[in-house]
Parts: sequence; C-alpha cells; structure tokens
Amino acid sequence: MTHKPIPKMLRYAVWMVVIALALAFLFFRADWDFDYVIPKRLVRLAAMLIGGVCVAWPSIVFQTLTGNRILTPAVMGYEAVYLLLQSLLILFMGTQSLVALGANGNFALSVVLMLGYSWAIHRWLFRDGRNNVYFLLLIGLVLTMVIGTFTQFVQFKVSPGEFSVLLGFSQASFGKAEPGQLLASAVLVAAVCAVGIKTLPTLDVLSLGRDQALSLGVDYQRAVRLHLALIAVLVAVSTSLLGPTAFMGIFVANTAYALARSIRHRVTLPTGCAIAIGIFILAQLVVEHVFNYRTTVGILVNLVCGAWFLALMVRTRGNA
Amino acid sequence: MISVSNLTKTYGNKTVVSGVSAQFPARQLTSLIGPNGAGKSTLLMMIARLLAPSSGDILLDGHSVTGIPIADYARRVATLRQSPDFNLRLTVEELVAFGRFPYSRGALTPEDRRVIDEAIAFLSLEPLRGAYLDEISGGQRQMAFLAMTIAQQTDCLLLDEPLNNLDIKHAVQIMRALRRLCDEQGRTVVLVVHDINFAASYSDHIVAMKGGAVHCAGPVSEVVTEAQLNALYGLDFEITRSPRGLLCNYFNLSGEPT
Repeated sequence: MTHKPIPKMLRYAVWMVVIALALAFLFFRADWDFDYVIPKRLVRLAAMLIGGVCVAWPSIVFQTLTGNRILTPAVMGYEAVYLLLQSLLILFMGTQSLVALGANGNFALSVVLMLGYSWAIHRWLFRDGRNNVYFLLLIGLVLTMVIGTFTQFVQFKVSPGEFSVLLGFSQASFGKAEPGQLLASAVLVAAVCAVGIKTLPTLDVLSLGRDQALSLGVDYQRAVRLHLALIAVLVAVSTSLLGPTAFMGIFVANTAYALARSIRHRVTLPTGCAIAIGIFILAQLVVEHVFNYRTTVGILVNLVCGAWFLALMVRTRGNA
Repeated sequence: MISVSNLTKTYGNKTVVSGVSAQFPARQLTSLIGPNGAGKSTLLMMIARLLAPSSGDILLDGHSVTGIPIADYARRVATLRQSPDFNLRLTVEELVAFGRFPYSRGALTPEDRRVIDEAIAFLSLEPLRGAYLDEISGGQRQMAFLAMTIAQQTDCLLLDEPLNNLDIKHAVQIMRALRRLCDEQGRTVVLVVHDINFAASYSDHIVAMKGGAVHCAGPVSEVVTEAQLNALYGLDFEITRSPRGLLCNYFNLSGEPT
C-alpha cells in the first residue's frame, strides 16, 4: 500500500533512538569501568527493557479489548492492590516485613496476589455469562477508589519512618530491581510474549468489537479472558518491579498508534514497547545525571507524559 | 437452509422473542420485517450466535448450530451488524481482508488475496481500496463492511438493517448486490429491513414479525398484501402493481382509513 514506507521508517527510527539511548545510558560518564559501573547499569537497563514491555503491552491490548483509548489496566485496580499489600505489610509487620520476606519474597507475593485479584474479578464477572467490558471497567474504577482510600487509611496509621518506606513503593524506580527478581520477571514476560505473539491476528480481530469478532469465528469470551490474564501477569511484574506507572501506558499506547499508523498489533505492540523503553532510559538518564537522584523516574515520567497527554486531549478535542 | 423452531429469548421476565418457528430457504433472499420491538434483530442475532437463545433450536442444513464450533460457523454464516461507530484507522482493503480471518487466521494466502479482490470488485469499491474508513461516507463504509462479509465466502449472510442511514442510491446498490449474491453465487441472504418497498421489490421470501412472534411468513406475493400489512403495522396500505413490481403506499395525510 502506498502510505506504508514512512511509518516503517519512523518505526525503525524509534528503535534506533532506543539503541542510541541504551548505549548512552551504559557508557555515559562510566569511564569504561566494566567491573562495577557498567554491570550495575546493565541490570538497570534490563529492568527498563522488561518494564517497557510490561507497560506498553497491557495498555495497548487493554485498549483494544475495551475499544477505548484513554483507559489502562491501572483503572482495573491492579496498582491499587499492590499498594494495599505494601501498606498492610508495613502496618502489621513494620519495616521488618522487608527483612522477613526479602525483596524476592515480596515480589513473588505481589505477583501471586495480583493474579489472584484478576482471577477473582473475572471469575465473578463472567459467572453469569455477562461479559460487558464497560461493567468490568466500572467495577475496576470503584475498586481502585475503595482500595486507594483504604490504603490511605492504613498509611495514616504507620509511623513517619515506615511511611517513607511506603512512599518508596508507590513511586516507580529502577534502583530497587535485583538480578534474581529481574530473572523471574524476564521468564514471566517471555512466557507471556510466547503465548501472546501467536494470538496477534486474533487481537486485530478483537479490535473490531465483540459482534464482528464472533462473526469472524473468534471465541470472544475466551480470547478476552486469555488476554486479561496475560495483562494481569505483565501488570503484576511491572508494579512489583518498578512501582506504579499508571499514566505512562496511555501516553505510550497513543504515541504508538500515531507512529505506527496501523491497528495491527504486530506493528503497534513492538512500537509501543520501544517507546516505553526509550522513555524509561531517557528518564533514568536525566534522574542520574541531571537531578542526581533528587527525583524519581516515576515523578518525571508522569509529569512529562501527563503534560503531553493533556496537550493531546486539547488538540484532538476529545477525539482521542 | 436455516430454520428455527420454538426459539425464545427472555430478559428477566420480559419475553422479546417467544416460540418463533420459521424457515429461511436456501439460495433465496429473505427479509425480516415488522414494527420496532418485534424481535427481528434479536431473532437474527440468535441465528448469528451473537445472542444465546433462552430455549429452542436453530438448525443449519438440518443440524443444530450449538454443536458447531464458532470458528467453523464463521465459514458457513457471516453476520453484519448495523455499521458500528468506528474509530479505527483502517483502510477499506484492510477491513475486507478481515473477512478471510476464518480461513487463514491472519496470514493471507494468494487465494485470500484473490477473494478479497473479487469482493472489492463485486461492489465496485476499487477506487476506495486504499481509503481510510473514517474518511469515506456512511454509505461507502457500509459497502466496505458488506465486502468484508462477502469475502468471508459463507453460504449464508445475515444482515441487520444494512440500509440504515443510507441514501436511496446506496440502499439500492446494497440491495442489488445482495440480489446478485443470491442469483449469481447461490448464497442465502437474510436481512432485517424497515423499508417495506425494498423488502417487496428485492426479496423472495418475507418473514413478518410482531410482538416477538411470527405474524406471517411466505413468498412476497403472500405477505405483501393490504390485509396482512394493515394488520402488521396498523397502518392503511395501498398496494399498486406495476411492471416494475409492487409498490406499497402507506402515506395518508389524514391518518383515517380511506
């Protein structure tokens, strides 16, 4: 088709920028220190690669399933559940919970809890054969609010020292990722990708909506359930690895659509992942070298993505 | 050939379709007509398996459809719903290509490409091939969706109000295309249509519904009569027979029976 070459170049350009950023991140002011600085940076880079996939994939697929371009899985309450778990751990076990569980224990617990959470809501919602995605969203929104308020209540009960630990959980950062945790995340993400990549054409059909998908022979309910489960795994990995990055998904997804000029998931998903990884690396570079760790990636990303998204909304006048 | 027997759909204690038994003859164009709320679309959606019936049976060539996997069903029955409000950035060709999904699950073969070309040519959509769906008119978009349904190469096509919001020219084009699908390709077409004159001019068979039940069904000459239509719609019909076919006139300024 005639209008394909330019987006294709754009997509390659995105990957070039990401590779350039990654190299800059690895070697900038590193003094070729292959013993300490660069291996440490490689760990953070790996966290960013995994994080990028875990932010971009769920957002884009979730928007396909809901046929809406402003929603992300955060609306379903995943990140709220994560924060609630951290708050409860601190409340009942104090900062000792961190020692008792260890970072890996905490991570495993978060993943299991979030999978359980998504299993519970889907099971409950699909119980009577009702599969209205908007109803699902409304429930997710209400749950987010309820859990969020409860978390705040818990946070008022803890001591200021413990509260500052909690604050660390509630902001995205690559500093807290550990190699063991990274390996577990990488395995989970690879497994999700292996399952997901086979169903990319089905995802394209799902974007036509329930009726058209069914009429084209896609078992809609099963496909939606599968993809919601995959989303649950990825969101669980990303929130426990990096902390909440709610706002970024919207930005990443919409930028990916704009760059890809296509609804094919074969195109939008890799582009979205590239954009997310690029943003993470850029933010981390700025945090490390400009702000000297006086701010976090989470704050920076939400600030920039938020501003961009606001501009997008104003410019498209509600058509987003 | 599709037939339904004793088909019922209830929501809570509201019955939308009650005990409908009807036949949709093979290689013919059948129109479902009737007032709003008669259950036409619900019946069609149950045949399309987009809605599960509360009770009753749907038979495709004599076999109950519940035993057919949904992926196989998509190669036998294609459904087009009222054109959804669509905000996807897709070209006409990309949309039509979706019609091949039941066969190739996304990886198009040369055979798929041939069928896509045929479907586009069948509706004379070649000039719009590369046009984006959100940049063409509603009538053109409906034609593009119909092309996708045609590319699905099913024996049966189910269409829910395909003429909705179309100007008369596009409506005639769609009906002619459906007629040709029956006559040239031997497909079975079932559609819900509100304009009684379109139904009378282009159908072979009509199923008229009222209040969730079949009011009357049969060949056009049996259903399109003043007595049947008066009772169906509660309007005063005058039917004229001309060399061009039947013309139903239900316009009547005073609203009183003449």
